[in-house]
Amino acid sequence: MRKYLRSLPLLATAVASIVIAGCGGSSSSSSSSSSSSSTSSAAAKNGGAVTVLDVAGGVDSLDPGYWYYQTDYTELYQPTQRALYGFTPQATSPVPDLATSQPILSNGGKTLTFHIRPGVHYSAPLASRTVAAADIKYAMERCFAANVGNGYAFTYFNNIVGAPTKPTTTVPTVSGITAPNASTLVIKTTVPVGVLTVPNALALPCTVPIPQDYAANFDKGAQSTYGMHQVFTGPYMISGAGTGTVPSSGYQTGKLLALVRNPSWVKSTDPIRPAHFDTITFKGGNDITVASQQILSGQSMMSGDFAAPPAAVLKQGLTTSQKSQFQIAPSGGNRYIALNTTVKPLDNVNFRRAIAAVINRNALRLTRGGPAIGTVATHFIPPQMPGFEQAGGTAGNPADDFYANPNGNLALAESYMKKAGYPSGQYTGAPLLTIADNSQPASNTAQAVQSQLGQIGIKLTFREVPHATMLTKYCEVPKAAVAICPTVGWGKDFFDSQSMITPVFYGPNIVPSGNTNMAQVNVPALNTQMQAAEQLTDPSARASAWANLDKEITSQVYVVTWLWDNEVGFHSTNVNGVQWPFNGNDWDLTASSLK
Amino acid sequence: MAKYIIRRLLWVIVLLFFVSLITFVIFYLLPSADPATLRAGRQPNPAVVAQIRHNLGLDKPWYTQYFNYMKALVLHFNFGYSYTNNVNVRTLIFDRLPATISLTVGAAILFLVLGIGVGTISAVRRRSKFDRAAMGTALVAISAPVYWLGLLALFVFAKDIGKVPIFPGASSYVPISQSPTQWFTSLLLPWIVLAASFAAIYARLLRANLIEVMSEDYIRTARAKGLSERRVIYHHGIRSAITPIVTAAGLDIGVLLGGAILTETVFNIPGIGRLAYDSILAGDLPMIQGTVLLGAFFIVIMNLVVDVAYAFIDPRVRYS
Repeated sequence: MRKYLRSLPLLATAVASIVIAGCGGSSSSSSSSSSSSSTSSAAAKNGGAVTVLDVAGGVDSLDPGYWYYQTDYTELYQPTQRALYGFTPQATSPVPDLATSQPILSNGGKTLTFHIRPGVHYSAPLASRTVAAADIKYAMERCFAANVGNGYAFTYFNNIVGAPTKPTTTVPTVSGITAPNASTLVIKTTVPVGVLTVPNALALPCTVPIPQDYAANFDKGAQSTYGMHQVFTGPYMISGAGTGTVPSSGYQTGKLLALVRNPSWVKSTDPIRPAHFDTITFKGGNDITVASQQILSGQSMMSGDFAAPPAAVLKQGLTTSQKSQFQIAPSGGNRYIALNTTVKPLDNVNFRRAIAAVINRNALRLTRGGPAIGTVATHFIPPQMPGFEQAGGTAGNPADDFYANPNGNLALAESYMKKAGYPSGQYTGAPLLTIADNSQPASNTAQAVQSQLGQIGIKLTFREVPHATMLTKYCEVPKAAVAICPTVGWGKDFFDSQSMITPVFYGPNIVPSGNTNMAQVNVPALNTQMQAAEQLTDPSARASAWANLDKEITSQVYVVTWLWDNEVGFHSTNVNGVQWPFNGNDWDLTASSLK
Repeated sequence: MAKYIIRRLLWVIVLLFFVSLITFVIFYLLPSADPATLRAGRQPNPAVVAQIRHNLGLDKPWYTQYFNYMKALVLHFNFGYSYTNNVNVRTLIFDRLPATISLTVGAAILFLVLGIGVGTISAVRRRSKFDRAAMGTALVAISAPVYWLGLLALFVFAKDIGKVPIFPGASSYVPISQSPTQWFTSLLLPWIVLAASFAAIYARLLRANLIEVMSEDYIRTARAKGLSERRVIYHHGIRSAITPIVTAAGLDIGVLLGGAILTETVFNIPGIGRLAYDSILAGDLPMIQGTVLLGAFFIVIMNLVVDVAYAFIDPRVRYS
């Protein structure tokens, strides 16, 4: 299964429980460790070929307008296309890519002007043509079209003047995006939008330029076919795609993706991508155990769309000379237990605090593999994100006593149960409907949660279903009235905590299906605070605002956050793998190289 | 015979219709992933989901959806569109089919040759050292799960990660059209692994049948008539004892053509089995429907082939 839900960047692919007893399995304070440098390119060598082994299906789509998930970014976005802004492996804020500078703000932050870098060419068959502002305008507009299937335009671009409120059958014209000349792009918004003024959302692939006159033909019909006919601006292109159509020698769904150098790319125009490899080949459909051994014992190979190798392989790797082949860093995501606040008695904050107190987060971490796979969480915003330190850092907020002991605190839990109206400290009500993922290792986590809740008498009507079913038929459907979803998580879109907090806790986000506010939190004061935070344009003010929201959310225990995830990447001995924090510390294949 | 085959082929169509209907209803009525929500991104507004649901035709009653599906299938041989893979189901199935056929045909040849050969020798030389060794090995081969056997074979014999590197390892499969030699060598290990348990079952089955048949009166009569032992065994013994093997092999080959999931997964052979497995995990109904129909098609066709083969193997069987 591929990483098809960016909201759960690792769930779908961590198919094995990774029990790393040798790494201090019960430690509560383990921070993530990097076995070797994740960003250094000192040993980088230009040239050579690398093979990336996928186990979970590889990329979702070839269309830049569709790309949203981790594997799409790693395997296609960063290597083959350029956007208005981008991220280097060192960057935690957007770096101008096709833009020449940060946005020029006017009209109280509601008008953003961008100048487009000259001399950036498309690949054949448009090799003679350079990127123009109108191409970015069209690219952004097509993200509103239903046949493109973009997953974030209505979230981040909805305040652009003239933006549609629902998907359009054809590519719309958005009056708030204009290209007065080939090198100038202007975006007007109805209110200041923090993720545009600090252009995080403009580093998403909707700003990958697409020439309208070339693409319009492919953008007709129920399903756009532009992906199969795209032109490339990045250092690599799909092998054979210079004819205007991606051939089977370059891409076969789930089997093969072959990237070769894009002859139109000029290194001097690209401030982001060193592009060391000559070719990058992604091979799909691998068995995780076999692929892991092939990577570690072979040459010129890297791990692909899976979060970590199986338990035995990882344990052996981290305790032998293979350790230098592993790179472990925070993914920018978390895992939590969603508590539906509309289901009694979960509407009672003391009942929720009792649950938080009794949950042994260390034990839950062990179900996925122990310290190597993440840090025990004490609040919602994960490490490396703006606001993380202000929200309490690794230690958390001292006032949140229910999070003080990572191994759980039964006595404290019982005291909260008494405050919640259960004099014996034990729950005496009806069983609570709980829906969990049935695949490993998530099912282990769910079973551990069930057992731990039993300590305070909480009985569950416990069901395990496939991951996609769990989300789309139960946990994301308010009508299903699921009380507890123990195997869910969230990952950032970029380095702004709005992308962590708003989707999960904003009241108006409660929708009949696809509801990411699984706790169904709808507190007017919180909603207002979030709206205000979204409009802040100063990065430090934004960080503080989102941190304050995190404190409030954590104090109210709408969810029990138990893990800040790590990404475990690994490669062959002759590879210098460079992780990409923007994309959950998956590989930046344009900065990675052979030694 | 011709009438019989035509009648059976018509029944194949009826059967496939019911298989498709049952698959459709199961996935419609039982909780499975909602393709519209999956496709709508991670923070979809209701309008986005509704629009996608409309575009996919998911807002129509199930029988309308099924009718549309069957109409496209019958009139245009269109199996629908996989929104998980963003590709036509038919394209992907036909892309994956050659790998599954390659795996199945090679393995079938191997397990039939080995199974019949070993089973015959074991029956003829009952209680010999060969018989004991062969039946003991067969028991091990039957007991070993294919996934485990595949991993073991790779860790021992694969050129990239094996201790005794002899055979190409996982991910080495290339289509026969690309390089017949590489195709053959890349499939050697998967063929052996896949064939092991089938060969073992057939050897034990044939041995037992043949021992029983060889004690029949007509075998004694054949010997009394002065026929050579070889002729007695091959023309009278095996011909009679092999009918259950033909039945089993027909069904097994049909099932394998529908996808050898574990073998394809361990050796990373991009076939139908792996495709079906991924589709089930992703709740990709059109792809599941396509692979189920294909699997059912192969099974009923192989069943027909077996029935027709009976007429040639067993003179008592006549179809009219």
